Amino acid sequence: MSGMTERSPGDVQHLLHPEVLASLSNLELVARAAVHGFLNGLHRSPFFGFSQEFAEYRMYAEGDDPRFVDWNVYARTERTYIKRYLGETNTRLVILLDASASMGYGSGAVTKLQYAKFLAATLAYLAAKQHDAVGLIVFDEEVREHRAPTSRAGKLSGVLHAIDRASPGTGTDLKVPFETFRQFERGRGLVVVISDFYCEPDAMIKGVQPLAYQGQDVVLFQLLDPEELEPELKESALMEDMETGESLEVSPIFMRSRYREKIQEHVQALKDCASGAGADHELIKITDPLDVALRNYLLFRQRRG
Amino acid sequence: MTLLAPAFLLGLLAIGVPIWLHRLSSENPNRQPFSSVMFLEPGEPRRVLAKKLQYLLLFALRVGVLVLLALLFAGLALEGRVQNLVAETARLHVIVMDLSASMAHGERWNRAQDLADTVIDGLDNADVAQVVTAERIIEVIAEPSLDRSATRRAVATVAPGPFRVDYGQLISSVDSLLRSAELPVVVHIITDAQQTALPTRFADLAPRTPFELVIHDASVSGDDNWAVEGLAWSSVSGDFVATLHGYADADAERTVALRLNGTQVAAQDIAVAAGETAQARFEGLELAGGANRVIAELAPGDDLLVDDERYLVVKRPTPRPILLVSSDSRGRAELFLTSALGTLAAQAYEIEQISPGALAEEALAEYVFIVVADAGALAEDDAAILSEYVESGGALLMALAQRSAGLGQVPVTGHAFEPFSQFGMEEGEFLVVGTMDRSHPALAQMDELRSTRFYRHISLQPEETDGVLIRLEEGSPLLVEHPLGDGRVIIFGSSLDREWNDLPVQPVFVPLIAQLSAYLAGDHRISAEARLGGTLSARSMGFAGGQIFAPDGEAVLGLAGAGAGDDVLVEQVGFYEVVASGQTELVAVNVDQRESDVTPMQANGLTRWRDLSPGASRAGGGNVALVETPPTELWPWILALLVVVVFVESWVGNWHLRVRRGIAT
Repeated sequence: MSGMTERSPGDVQHLLHPEVLASLSNLELVARAAVHGFLNGLHRSPFFGFSQEFAEYRMYAEGDDPRFVDWNVYARTERTYIKRYLGETNTRLVILLDASASMGYGSGAVTKLQYAKFLAATLAYLAAKQHDAVGLIVFDEEVREHRAPTSRAGKLSGVLHAIDRASPGTGTDLKVPFETFRQFERGRGLVVVISDFYCEPDAMIKGVQPLAYQGQDVVLFQLLDPEELEPELKESALMEDMETGESLEVSPIFMRSRYREKIQEHVQALKDCASGAGADHELIKITDPLDVALRNYLLFRQRRG
Repeated sequence: MTLLAPAFLLGLLAIGVPIWLHRLSSENPNRQPFSSVMFLEPGEPRRVLAKKLQYLLLFALRVGVLVLLALLFAGLALEGRVQNLVAETARLHVIVMDLSASMAHGERWNRAQDLADTVIDGLDNADVAQVVTAERIIEVIAEPSLDRSATRRAVATVAPGPFRVDYGQLISSVDSLLRSAELPVVVHIITDAQQTALPTRFADLAPRTPFELVIHDASVSGDDNWAVEGLAWSSVSGDFVATLHGYADADAERTVALRLNGTQVAAQDIAVAAGETAQARFEGLELAGGANRVIAELAPGDDLLVDDERYLVVKRPTPRPILLVSSDSRGRAELFLTSALGTLAAQAYEIEQISPGALAEEALAEYVFIVVADAGALAEDDAAILSEYVESGGALLMALAQRSAGLGQVPVTGHAFEPFSQFGMEEGEFLVVGTMDRSHPALAQMDELRSTRFYRHISLQPEETDGVLIRLEEGSPLLVEHPLGDGRVIIFGSSLDREWNDLPVQPVFVPLIAQLSAYLAGDHRISAEARLGGTLSARSMGFAGGQIFAPDGEAVLGLAGAGAGDDVLVEQVGFYEVVASGQTELVAVNVDQRESDVTPMQANGLTRWRDLSPGASRAGGGNVALVETPPTELWPWILALLVVVVFVESWVGNWHLRVRRGIAT
């Protein structure tokens, strides 16, 4: 929120801060604001634009939409060319959104699930703006929502509504969404998994690896609260697992030392496993602005394109 | 104050507060939701144990603070130790304070307390003092002690009551009290040496226990007193008579006022000769219905207030119906009965007359009793109706007059007549009353009956269960009481008119009929006066149970005791109220007249009394005596301990809270 007070007039970067986005009631508005703020910060970036910028001509092939034939070129050359733009790469984006109970944790104004919803909505909006087909799987121990990828106009709002409906559920089982994905999604594309990944790295990799072999580009956004990474406990406390209800009395000393080591080891293990499976892993603190994730997404997309 | 005192127990209840708070706290530890415990490990047991110990310590300190507070307010003291610290010369001085009513006369009580102080001042340091009060009973109010201030406090806290003291009983009780004394005993009786307090036998003043008797006379020669010794009401004339007694050396004129139900209705000045009584008669006073509170009082009062008032309860019940069954068309029996009952100031009864044949049409249960003027007029059906009435609790007065002479037996009761005695006398001869049962309520003060002439009478053969109340001089029964079922029948062996006797024209006829009526109506059972020091119960007032209120308004017998037949000790003068079943009965309680005579006994009488005591000697074999030392107050120690515990609690609590709030670790 401090960013709001320090920003200069016309600075829309603050719209990427989760606290700011949390104040917006409509998720589509959140997505628009985030994308608007992100794109305005890209003028010095190496990324291509997302407008209808010309990229190349290619020969018309059967099945191409005749509306995109460049009739001016045809008049000059009597050949039918299709005009292609940079944004038209027909990528499919499927977002796997973890809505387990642990995602309901948050030490500040925003919980992990809220942050995940902002991120998912923003990615969906950004993808739709590039005419990518956007799909969604919301899961905890089972698949709670499934939207097949589509680029048809008007379907974006359905995806956004599905994201908006997500609420903290029960436990986490990564195997379920990946199996669902493999069952219904055959084409290649981008798979974005948004979760806190409280699971064994091996279990995670068993789900990711088949997708990588399938030719999917998988990116794992691991969302964690700063209190999960560097907890500040003043006295012994009874920690209650939000998913299993199990309680454990822990000491402040342990939380300051051993726990931090273990969580870092876990993050590193996830990163290594993801790398080994051909997926990318990105750790995001839920107090960070959204642009880190968006930037990574665009990098992946560029690689895909 | 003891540990069982209500205040202490209430204070102890406060311990529940920290117990409750700590229980809540222990049930709700610092519980935090966390995403996952998969990377967590349980804390070190030693650290957890230390935390729990610290928590228990804080809890114990808080409970300790409350317990110490409660102990502080309980005013705990270590009981005085029983020690053998009596010197060779020590003696036990028993100070007996006479609390009889006469001790309240003038300055007698102040003098008595001064005398007690003088006695205490004169005790040797090694002497042990004990205080005893004498009124209705002998009571120890201060145990043997070396603590002079405790002895003085005991003397200062008592005051004369309304009771009478008998010196014979006093000496006997002191004897019992000192039977186990192991020191030489000196008994100091501080009294007004009232002449009337002496026992019937002078020898009863001799103690059996060997002790030295010292009598401290608190009376002042020349003390005089006037008392209202009696207050009576005549049911015949309706007059009140107050009797005033002058216990003085000179004649005096005093004013007696009469208060009726709290309002002074009359006053009279009367001259009272020295040592004599005088009466004040109050006439023409209108009584209210039910029980009336009547007080005759000396106005203004004298030096002894307790006997300046005399209390009396006079009942004027609402007229109740009685039934006269008579076949006499001239109604002579009715005339005499109505005249006699109408003469009563109380106007307690209304007479209705019917002929015997109309009995079946009457609701007999409404009548308090029934009079049959001549049993010979009753048919068999009438007798059966009357039998049923009596057996169910009714009362019947039945005369055997002219028409009964032809009967073989008495109707209703079935008594057989004596042979050849149906007619007692020849013409011109008569019999008079020979013996009568004076203890019977209906025949109290009926000596004038002896002047009545009986010309005719019918003798019957009384049964074993019957009571023969009056016999004629030749021995034949004249008035017989016969129990029948729940009720009773009184058979009069002569007529109720002037045919067979001259009773109706004798002066005794009116009180006889009045008392017989009261007896048959059951009014005699209720006494409206109780003795001071005696007992009173709702049952004695004719109720199955009820509440009893003392003259000061306090409920001395509550509803809890109602019906249980509990007796209440009568210890106040005035009017006691017995409330039951929506009715209120009054009982008057007066001071014993003997307390009014404040004349002290002669000096030689006192000397003779002193001489009766064998003198002090040690009853036990050695110097062993158990004496209680003054108690040791504990509050300074408890207070100091409380301060320490509060400091420790604050320190531990602050440390505990600091950790919990995370100010510093």
